[in-house]
This record gives sequence, structure tokens and C-alpha cells, in this order.
Amino acid sequence: MLEVEQLTKRFGGLVAVKNLGFSVRGGEILGLIGPNGSGKSTAMRCVMGVDAPTAGAVRFEGRDIAGLPSHKVSRLGVGLVFQHSRPLNRQTVLENIKVALIPDRLGMLLHSAEIDDRARAIAERVGLGAVLDRKPPTLAFADLRRMELAKAIAQHPKLVLVDEPFAGLTATEVAAFSELIAEFRAEGRAVLLVDHNVKSVAALVDRAVAMYLGEKIAEGTAAEVMRDETVRRVYLGGALVRAARDAAPAAHGAPLLEVRDVEVRYGKALAVQGVSLHVREGEFVALVGLNGAGKTTLFNAISGLVRHNGEVRWAGAPLEGLTPAAIARGGIVQCPETRELFGDMTVRENLELGGHRLEPTALAERLDWLFDLFPILRERTGQVARTLSGGEQQMLAIARALMMEPRLLILDEPTLGLAPVILETLSNALHRLRGSTRLTVLLGEQNVTFALPHADRLYVIDHGRLAWEGEPDRFETEAADAYL
Amino acid sequence: MAPPSWLRSRPVVAGLVILALGACVPLVGSGYVLGLLTVAFYTAVFAMAWDLLFGFAGEVNFGPTFLIGLGAYTAGILDARLAPNVSLWLCVLAGAAAAVIGGVVLALPALRVRGPYFGLTTLVAVLMLQNMVVVFADLTGGEIGLSVPDVMSVSATANYWIAFGFMAVSGAILYGLSRSPIGLVLQASGQDPVQAGALGFNVTKHKLFAFVVSAFFSGLAGALMVFYMGTASVGTFVDISVGVQIIVAAVLGGRRTVIGAAIGAVFLIAMGEALRPLGELATLIVSLLALLVVLFFPDGILGMLQGRSRRD
Amino acid sequence: MLAWQILIDGFAIGSLYALGATGFTLIFGVSGVLNLSHGAIMVAAAVAAWALAGLAGAGPWAAALGGIAIGVALATLTYFVTVRPIQRSPRVAEAEKEIFILTATLLWGIIISEAIAYLFTNNAKTVLPIVEGVVGWFGVRTPANEYFTAAVCWIAIGLLWLLVNRTRHGKALLAASMNPRGVTLLGIELSRIHLAVWLIYGVLASVAGILLGMFLGVSSYSVGPLTASAFSIVVLGGLGSVSGSLIAAYVVGYLETATAYLISPAYRTIPALLLLVVVMYLRPQGLFGRR
Repeated sequence: MLEVEQLTKRFGGLVAVKNLGFSVRGGEILGLIGPNGSGKSTAMRCVMGVDAPTAGAVRFEGRDIAGLPSHKVSRLGVGLVFQHSRPLNRQTVLENIKVALIPDRLGMLLHSAEIDDRARAIAERVGLGAVLDRKPPTLAFADLRRMELAKAIAQHPKLVLVDEPFAGLTATEVAAFSELIAEFRAEGRAVLLVDHNVKSVAALVDRAVAMYLGEKIAEGTAAEVMRDETVRRVYLGGALVRAARDAAPAAHGAPLLEVRDVEVRYGKALAVQGVSLHVREGEFVALVGLNGAGKTTLFNAISGLVRHNGEVRWAGAPLEGLTPAAIARGGIVQCPETRELFGDMTVRENLELGGHRLEPTALAERLDWLFDLFPILRERTGQVARTLSGGEQQMLAIARALMMEPRLLILDEPTLGLAPVILETLSNALHRLRGSTRLTVLLGEQNVTFALPHADRLYVIDHGRLAWEGEPDRFETEAADAYL
Repeated sequence: MAPPSWLRSRPVVAGLVILALGACVPLVGSGYVLGLLTVAFYTAVFAMAWDLLFGFAGEVNFGPTFLIGLGAYTAGILDARLAPNVSLWLCVLAGAAAAVIGGVVLALPALRVRGPYFGLTTLVAVLMLQNMVVVFADLTGGEIGLSVPDVMSVSATANYWIAFGFMAVSGAILYGLSRSPIGLVLQASGQDPVQAGALGFNVTKHKLFAFVVSAFFSGLAGALMVFYMGTASVGTFVDISVGVQIIVAAVLGGRRTVIGAAIGAVFLIAMGEALRPLGELATLIVSLLALLVVLFFPDGILGMLQGRSRRD
Repeated sequence: MLAWQILIDGFAIGSLYALGATGFTLIFGVSGVLNLSHGAIMVAAAVAAWALAGLAGAGPWAAALGGIAIGVALATLTYFVTVRPIQRSPRVAEAEKEIFILTATLLWGIIISEAIAYLFTNNAKTVLPIVEGVVGWFGVRTPANEYFTAAVCWIAIGLLWLLVNRTRHGKALLAASMNPRGVTLLGIELSRIHLAVWLIYGVLASVAGILLGMFLGVSSYSVGPLTASAFSIVVLGGLGSVSGSLIAAYVVGYLETATAYLISPAYRTIPALLLLVVVMYLRPQGLFGRR
């Protein structure tokens, strides 16, 4: 029913999707999987017409729809369930759903009983019968998602696109939603699910397409894709190889960083639940989890960038009430997944800003030391940060964070989107750091193989909760299978 | 059969109360009060038309006086030039038509841009009109103003009823529109255009529609007001400060409620009059109060009445 | 010699506009705010300088400095009264904050200009010039003040450039305009950066206002047109682009001057406005805009 061929989408110089091809038949559920930046959401938006493809063909029931505006695509029989949406907060759930049923004419001045009935029927079907007269701000998160589902299927589309179907839902809610989506399949519709995480949709999809950096890297049944070598290598870093580890400095004494029962909500959605962990001075702790499991959210809570329940203690004192900048000055420096470089400034300027609190001599010394650690940056001191390659940008981000003389360095997914060659350089740099300084590191990674050789201890995070904790040696025997 | 829920909603109740009160005024009020309220009623229509556009286009129109001024001056110029060959009411309709055309012309670039650019585009439109009026002074009377030979009526009471009726009808239409299916779609388009598109709505078409409706009522009200006052001048119809008053009225009353805008307008004008003895400080105090409302009561009067349960 | 006259006058006016527009763009780039009380702050500084000279008997330099102090105070107040409360308010939805801030700054500007009219009347006031007399350069008799104006504007712009590109604190400002989160991650408080930016803006706007007061005189009626011309220039040049604002300032300055001399002073604002309309139709992001 849906055929995508050679789909390419460029945003200026950035290629988000490259030569993507796949197809979905009626009565089939296809999962489009990939981490952040893989292009899966862009691909979905191109199919819906929210963005126009730069090249390639999108055919729906044999008809070319690439480049059509989204309202036309929708009227042809395609529905999209957005991940984030703004419902009409002053209207009831019923009225919100009715919007989806109104025809695209300017003349509709009177409410129609027929539309009313149809809206009620759809609401009942997705399980909203009890809350029809309530308004969105009073609804639970799962019900809000049901409402979005109802809006998308109100016109009985033949193809349904769902963005991150299970994000923010509890296990029981996930089961309920899976049933609903399975019903669409039973009705002969085609369903395309877009998600971070093969595991969470594995039970539901018939086939899966894995994406990385805009390209398709594997296709097949869910099980086949999960076993695929390229997928494992790219998402997880390949087979778990027992590598020689650094001699760990004796970890004793009170923890430097203590996270107690932290919970973070985005609006109604629960992103991190009851997470407790600790890091001692000099330790290298890895937090491994798939993209979207909650690592970034947790790090942002520690750095004071998002509000959270629970407590975070640093060097014995709670961090509550401190601004994020104060927390950074206090010694917790984060190098985020998005790097947050100053794109229009040079490498040197970025680094100097990192050392803004240092005296000129100390600054120069530190710069030297960092150039030693990352020689490529020395070659590129005058280059504008935006024009650096992905790996160079990552190294710059880490170097800039190190300019702040942190006691704890939080690294969030440094390997995301980087070529394997760069990973070696990064790994070596981390080895050297550990060997020559007392730096404490909290590393968040999807790529377990990268994290394992460095880690003194490991936490596994899944769907916002800690699933396992322990030494790297035990990881392979105890947790590895469950991981993917 | 129970009356539909919208009839029992707060804005409607508030609106009906105001109308009931308004109907009593001619029985007790002096000509001065009637005149004041007449102006207030026309301003109420300006504010309601603005609120409709704000709620539906989702962007702030900083130059409602562009549309009002077009309506007012077109009607005024036609009457000044062509009287007594042309009926006053024909001029009024011509004014409304001119405002609609102006609205479409403004909408085309404005709808292609988002955020601050939209507001700036509308502001530029007002400046253009202001300058045009001054430049073509022989046609428009320039900064002194334009006198029109016809007026709707010389009786304060008659003028009051005309304005009152106009406001009541406009309010009913605009509010009804906001609650109708097309109104729901327009709101969705303003709030989340991407999703509205994915639900099958041509968002541009709907926003253009919102523009046209807002322009029609603004221009119509402006034209009618010219024939109430007997003159048209930049200071009354085109000035930015008039535009600000309209925006403040809508925010004061409660954004996106339509009826709130009318309440806000009446309140603002009444307050301006009440403060008149303070002379030059009047504008300052009104602006100060408006600023306090914006800072501390962003939901406006109607919003406060409806409680804090809604948050956009 | 009319050409020279236009060239010199246009340059002086353009420089004034450039200084004001640079300040306006700075606030937009770092704070994200289109400050519609811009004209009011400029006029307030000028009127303060005039009052200090006329009513308190201060000398021209002292009066100018006093005016700048008042302007800076007002600018800082603008931040604390209209911008910061709304940015931090939990009662306004994120998407609407920009609009509320715009409206609040507009109201604040009206409050200031009404206060000026109340305290000092609407009459036009000329600030005591620092440089007096007429010079005959380029074969044209021009008040020396005009050259002084252009010089001061360029010195101010130059100092700003040095600050932003060559000093550590200045680079932090620049960084904040590129990536506020990046700056926070480096341990720099954004609130301090905002305060610094508004202080700098206060200086720029005050200097521009006082120079204008010396050059042409100001009154509370000038407030609206000054704000209007500042944002027209900034939109023409492209929101967020300082170089765009500089160029657009001179384009507008010369268009106005040429029109005033060659056609009529009453129409001076028309060509610039027409240009703005055309640009908005064809290229809404302005000549150099990137946002």
C-alpha cells in the first residue's frame, strides 16, 4: 500500500535521510527503528507531507504523493499520531475528536449530530468513553495519547503512522496500546511505527527496518533485525569483547555524587522513575541504556536543567536551589548529547570560553594539555566549530568541558553518530584521562562495547528505571541478553 | 431538551448580563454617558474582531487599526466626495469591502512568516496607512481630519441603540463562529498548524478566512463609527495607540473568549473617562494598569472568572 | 553642493540610526526581545540631559552623562519590570511569552512617554550641544555637531565590537546569543548576561537619544517614530544580524535625507517604508537575516 523509494531529504547541508526504501502492505505493521538523528522521524514526516522530500518517490496505493501538502495526504487516507501535540485545552475530549471529523470546508457553521455520533464511537473504541466530557488538562497521560490515537483514526485511514507509540507509558498501558494497534492490523490497515527501540516494538511489528544516520542498515522480521550484525555493531558496539581494563583506583569513602529516588516528568509523561545511584570520587561509572531510556533526562536532572522529585547530593550537600550554572561551577560538568557548541566561534574560542574562570597562565597550560590529549584540535584551532566533522565536534565538546576543571564529568552518548575510527581515538583519550587524573566520570552510553573497558561499575537503565547494577564482569553473564 | 452546553457557559452568561445592563442605560443615563458607551460599543467590536483573529490565526495582529482605518477612511472619503448622490449605508458597505480587500492583501505576506515577523508586518501596514493619509491630505484631510456631511442620527439615544444593536449582533456572530465546527478547526489551526494539516485541513485557507472575517467586522465598525462621529482622523482610527488600546482591551477581558474582548473594551473606555479629571496622567495610569494586568492577570477578567483550570 | 549636503546629513542621520539599531539588535539577539519601548528610552535620556542642563544648570558633558545614567536605569528597569517577570511566569504559555513581552514593552514605552509629556510638556527640546559652531568642510557649511554625532556613533559601535570580539566577557555575550544552554553548561549565569546586555543597550540607546537631541531635538511625539524606524531598520537588515542593521540604517538614513532635500520634508519617511514593504513581500527575513 505504501512504497517508499530512494527517499532523500536534505536540510541545507545536512542530509537527514538518504536513499531510504521500504514498503508496507495492508494488514501489516512495519517498525522504523533508529536512534536520535537516524532520520526515522524525518522519513515519517516526508511520507505525511509535513516536509517535502528532496528526492525519491513516495507512493500510496500506487499514487505518487511525494511533495503533496499534508492536508491532501491526510484526505487520501493517511493518519498520523504525533508524539507531542497541543490539544485544545478549553474544549472537551469529545470536541477535540470532533475536529478530526470535520470536513475541510469553510461553510460548516452548525454542529452535526452525525459527526457527534461518529466521534463518540471512536472514543469508545480507544477507551475514552468515560472521559468524553472532561478537558485535556485533567486527563492522565495515557488518555491524552488515546485521544491522539482517536484523532488520527477518526477518518478511518488506510495507512496509520505512529510516532513513538509507547513513550511515557507504563507497562500495562503499553499492552493496551499494543492491542489497539494490533486491531488496526486486523482491520486490514497498514501501520508504520517509528521508535527508538526495537525491543519495545518487537512483539508488535511484523517487520522492521533499522536506520542509522539517514540510511537503512537492516530489514527483516524484528528478531532478524535484532540479531543483525550491523545493527548490533552500530547500536551497541558489536559483540561484547572482554577487553583489558584499567586498574581501578580504590573506591572508598562517601559517594561524591548521590542520586536518591529521582523522578522526572515531562508534562504528564514519566521519563525517569525512582532512580537511585551513586558515584565515588575517582570512579568511572557507566549508565548504559538504549536511546530514549532516560539517560539524558537523568543527567539533566543532576545538572539542574530539569525539575525533578527526589534528591541529588554532591559532596555531601544537596543540590537543591542551585542554578544549573552554579552546579556546573561546583564541579559537575556535563558534555551533553547535543554537544551545545558555539557553532560560529572557532575551536580556540570555544575552549577559551570553557576556561573562562582560569587565569591566563593556567588557561594556556590547560589548553596545551588538552591539545596533547586531542591533537586534532591543535590542528584546527582557528576553524569555526560548525564546520568540524562529527568526531572533531565531539572531541571539542569534551575538551571544552575539561577546560572547566571538573570533579565529575558527565558524558552523554559521546559515540552517537560517530564512525568506528573515531571511537578508538575517544576511547584512548578516555584511557589517558583515567590514567593521569583523578577525574570522576559518569558515562551514558547506548554502545555497551565502548563503555565496558572503561567502567568500574555499570548501571542499566530501561524505560526510565534502573534494571541492573553491578561490575562489568558480571554484565555479560547476567544482563547482556536482556539488553537487546 | 436541555439548552446546549455552550449557552450556559460563562462567556455567554456574562455577555447576556452586559446586554441586559446595556439595554437599561438609556432609561437612566445622560447624553454624555450614552455617547461614551456608543464609542465603547464600537471599540468592543474592534476588540472582538481582533480576538477572533488572535485566537484563530494564533498570531498577534499589531495593527488592527490598519483594517479599521481602511474601513473608516474609505467610507468617509466616498461620502465626502459623492454625497448627496450616495447613501450613507452604501459608503459603510464600501468601507467594509475595502477593509476586506486590505485584509487579504495584508494576509498574503503575513501568513507566510511566523513569530515576530507577523506582528511586524501588521505594524508596518499601519505605518503605511498613516503615512498615506498624511501624504494624500487633499483626499483624506491629512492630520486635521476629514469631515463627512452625513451622520447616522443626531439623537444620542438613536446612536446608542444603533451601536448597541451592532455590537450585540456582531458579538453573537463572532462568538457563535468561535464555537461552531469551523471555529474549532480555526482554533486548532492557530494552535498547532502542523497537526491541523495532518488532520486534513488547509491551514492557510482557514487563516485567510479568519483574516477576512476580522477585517470585515473591523472595517464595518470603523465605517459606522465615522458616521457617528461625523469626522475621521488619524488619531481616532489609525494611530498605533488606538491599536494598543484594542489589544489591551482583548487581553484585559480574556484572550480567545470573544465576549471578554467586549467586556474589556467597555471597561477600558469607562475607566479612561473616570480618570479624565486627572488630565494628562489619564493615559499613563490606564497604561500602567494595563501593564499590571498583562504581568499579573494574563488570563484577563473572564479568565479569572473561569478559574485557573484552563492553561493553554 | 547639494550632493555633499545630502551625503553629510545622511551620514549623520544614518550613524544615529545605526547606533540605535545596533542596540535594538543586541537585545533581540541575546535576550530574544523586540523592545518596543526603545524610542521612549532614547527620548527619556535626551530629555533628562536637557533638564539637567536647563533646569539644574549642568554643563553639556555633565548633562549628557546624567542623561546616559537615566537611560541606563530605565533600560535596566525595562528588563526587570517587563521582560523578566513574563519570561519566568508559569501562567503564560511558552508560545505566548513573546507576544506578551512585546505588548508589555509597548505599554511600558507609552508609560514613559506619557510621564515625559506630563513632567516636561510635549514641546520639542534641544539638548545642549557639546560641540558648537559651524564648519565649512567639503565646501558645505554644516554644524560641527553633525560630524561629532557621526564620530561618537562610530566610536561607540567600535567599542562594542571590541568588547564583544576581544574581551572574555564580551565573548560570553556573543556565545549566549548563539547558544544560551551552552553558556549555562559552562557555568555562566544567564541572568548576569541578560543584565549586562540591557545595561549596554541602555548606554547605546541613551547616547543615540542624546545625540539626536543635540542634532534635531526631541519631544514625547518622537517616541513612536523612533521605535518604528529602529525596528524597520532591523527588519530590513534582518533580525539578528548586526551587520545587516548597520547597512540598513544607512540605507534608510540616506533615503530619508535625500527625500527630505529633493522632494519634501513631509514625505521623508515614505520611501523607506515602501522599501520595507517590498522587502517584506519578497524576502521576509530581511537582507541578511538568518532566524
